[in-house]
Amino acid sequence: MKKKGVGIGSTFYGTGYGNGFPDVSRAKAVLKEDGKVAVHVGATEVGQGSKTIMSQMAAEVMSIPLNDIIFICEDTKNMPDSGTAAASRQTYNTGNAIKLACEDLRKKVIENAFKELKLNSSVGLTLKNGEIYLKTLPSKNISLKELALCLLKNKELPLIGEGSFTAQTIEMDEETGQGAPYWPYTFNVYGVIVEVDTETGLIDIIKAVCAQDVGKAINPEMIEGQMDGGFAMGLGYSIYEDLGLKEGKMKNKNFTNYLIPTALDVPELEKFIIEDPESTGPFGAKGIGEPVMLGVAPAVLNAIYDAVGVRITQVPVTPDRLLRALKEERRE
Amino acid sequence: MKREIVGKRAIRVDGHSKVLGKAEYPQDIQKQSMYHGKTLRSKKPHAYFKLNIDKAKNLKGVIAILTAKDVPYNHHGVLFKDHEIFCTNKVRRVGDPIAFVVAENEKIAKQAVEFIEIEYDEIPGVFDPIKAMEQSAPIVHKESNILYHYKIRKGNIENAFKQCEVIVENEYRTGMVDHAFLQPESGIAYMDENTVVVCASSQYPHFDQIEIAEALNIPTENVRVINPAIGGAFGGREDITLQIHIALATKLVGKPVKTTYSREESFLAHGKRHSMIMKYKTGANRQGKLVAMEANIIGDTGAYASWAPNVLRKAGVHATGPYEIPNVKVDSYAVYTNNPFAGAMRGFGAAQGPIAYEQQIDEIGRKLSIDPITIRKINGFKVGSETATGQILEASVPYIQCIESVGKALGLEQKEGIR
Amino acid sequence: MKDINLKINGKSYRLSTNEDMRLIDVLRDELGLLGSKEGCGEGECGACTILMEGRTVNACMVMAFQTDEKEIITIEGLSNGEQLHPIQQAFIEIGAVQCGFCTPGMILSAKAILDKDTNPTREMIRQGISGNLCRCTGYAKIVDAIELAGKLLRNGGNNCEA
Repeated sequence: MKKKGVGIGSTFYGTGYGNGFPDVSRAKAVLKEDGKVAVHVGATEVGQGSKTIMSQMAAEVMSIPLNDIIFICEDTKNMPDSGTAAASRQTYNTGNAIKLACEDLRKKVIENAFKELKLNSSVGLTLKNGEIYLKTLPSKNISLKELALCLLKNKELPLIGEGSFTAQTIEMDEETGQGAPYWPYTFNVYGVIVEVDTETGLIDIIKAVCAQDVGKAINPEMIEGQMDGGFAMGLGYSIYEDLGLKEGKMKNKNFTNYLIPTALDVPELEKFIIEDPESTGPFGAKGIGEPVMLGVAPAVLNAIYDAVGVRITQVPVTPDRLLRALKEERRE
Repeated sequence: MKREIVGKRAIRVDGHSKVLGKAEYPQDIQKQSMYHGKTLRSKKPHAYFKLNIDKAKNLKGVIAILTAKDVPYNHHGVLFKDHEIFCTNKVRRVGDPIAFVVAENEKIAKQAVEFIEIEYDEIPGVFDPIKAMEQSAPIVHKESNILYHYKIRKGNIENAFKQCEVIVENEYRTGMVDHAFLQPESGIAYMDENTVVVCASSQYPHFDQIEIAEALNIPTENVRVINPAIGGAFGGREDITLQIHIALATKLVGKPVKTTYSREESFLAHGKRHSMIMKYKTGANRQGKLVAMEANIIGDTGAYASWAPNVLRKAGVHATGPYEIPNVKVDSYAVYTNNPFAGAMRGFGAAQGPIAYEQQIDEIGRKLSIDPITIRKINGFKVGSETATGQILEASVPYIQCIESVGKALGLEQKEGIR
Repeated sequence: MKDINLKINGKSYRLSTNEDMRLIDVLRDELGLLGSKEGCGEGECGACTILMEGRTVNACMVMAFQTDEKEIITIEGLSNGEQLHPIQQAFIEIGAVQCGFCTPGMILSAKAILDKDTNPTREMIRQGISGNLCRCTGYAKIVDAIELAGKLLRNGGNNCEA
């Protein structure tokens, strides 16, 4: 018999290293001779999109097109240490460092521009769309490109902005666990409707919804991509993935028997990006890389209970495990 | 402030090279006259061993075979240096690296690995973290198998449970899982004058740089780590795998050395998500307000610590879920066993707890005839809430908004309320 | 040793191959066509998907000698210089790429789907890429991208393979 059920899984997640361990990101922004800006930062692009969203942050501060940001994050020889690409910390932590580095460079650009423009002061000068100009008399202007050339001639390049950001966390008391171990926290809620086949033990997800708190979305499309991916990974955790561990040996150590979800297993996910800016985040942003997968498994388990009235206390809920639980319930 | 680029759509900056198939992953890097490496790994979970490499060494095309005695500092690890780069005389898990063959080509390297004679003297292993906590259990490292214990003591749970209208108790279990990123580990190392250059996918190249320099006993500035395109990570590229092996090899033989793992070796080489056993007792008053919670969480970190203390700390800190609970007692433990080692994986100790605390709260709601949305709204974090560690959530706490969005999309809002 | 003739991305090759050589080895090691990726070596992940005689195959499961006189298309044969194929364009446009390791194989599976029908249902698309694993995207944006690519092709987006 096929039975339907609905379930919710809601979670919170403290991002960053945590517990008072110095969580430091460093970044460098360099004005190049062609007016482009190179951002040097030890933030690894693992596929999550850090290169893109951090380039967006830099482009925003420098007010230049995204294509004019050269993002360098591959080589220990030419990038400062910005910590690990983990703990959902890069957007918040390194994002802040990049923003600070670019603000520093922006200030230096304006200071140099007022000299080149032969003004008395940098007051009232602004940088927008690749141009530095006087707000009260826009004809007093110089492009970033022209400025870079002037500076090159005067041997004043490279112009470098630097930024460093350290998250605020406090070590917890050893006996009571009291303290402020993480910041910021990110919230995530999943809801699913499942259909449980009580004969085969198979679980079909017929509807899935996710609401993800992001602080402020830097790139909404990439956040959706993270949500979809986190959902798939959470689904695998809920009902498929099993190493078949026995006496320390993995039976399932290839893709023939360690089953990760395929395109046929992952249903469409309805996604809500919830914005509530975090005042200490870059543009209000928080990290979401991990939170996006947390609510899936509990939502599925609660939906199974709603469908068949049995609490499954172990993941993955393989057909075998589900049928056994149903049988036990009947016996009781 | 009006923003031009942040918050807007932007084409992925590395998209173009990836759709063209031009993005360069470590396996795509070729060097003139490079050698190939292959790792010999333990087939036993807990054993002493003796090694004889003579036969393998004499195989035509074998350049070198690295073992523990070739490593200046034979230890690594993200928190504790409890991994050996190559096991000296004892293996603690299936998959522990024992030797690294460098050969003219991959085929010979593979063959030579088979030619290495290894004699295991098996000792009893421990595979269940609860058993591993007992006094009589086989010891995986030097002292106790319990390597970390985190505690929360807030309020008075004994008194609080007495006041509860409803109490729910249950035990939950989660298994170890793999990151299964699509790109198996691969790397190439070469010498650039007296600098060792290592190209491999890593989540944290600067930390790899330090660990490689320590193992080789050379200054950090003589190690350069290049991170090419990375085919997913999810925490599984936090602990170092092949980087030190190829760095040692290239320093020894002077030529570029490359190694690429098969899918199976990838499973054997990197860490897993901690399996956890979570005992929960949760109590609420008649109105559905959570009053007390007690949780005992045991995390199996397998043969090595990796990030276990941080993972089990995170499990403990997040044990309440996103709910205000005035009286909380949490004990979380990280325990060594002879299972595959567990480390960082997306969620990092906060992915297991929800399976427990979210079922607990549903059960509480069910017993009090309060629907899942309402019970969460009654207890959920809001601006000003205090967490189990006494931290005030002073801003950006849109939990209720998230719950409401999901409830509405599922058509649950009409059903809300106390039945 | 066996000599084989094969046509890859419109170009003819004559190669001598070993008995244990797989097509993926020919592509990557012999010809330097590194766009095809090896993710599992046993035909489960689809990262090495290529088109042989217009049909998708896993290059890790085809022996080199089996490719004699066959016509093969790899990811390198899809774009025309800097001019992207509509599928590639759509993948970028929609944001269907994350780590990118599954992307070349995924794009070739997409091509096989759209070569048959430029207006497939989402279910047909999911079926068509079910042999290609992706751990990052949850497939949603990949399905969207293939839909968009179909639309581009229907609207005369020229198929610019060599």
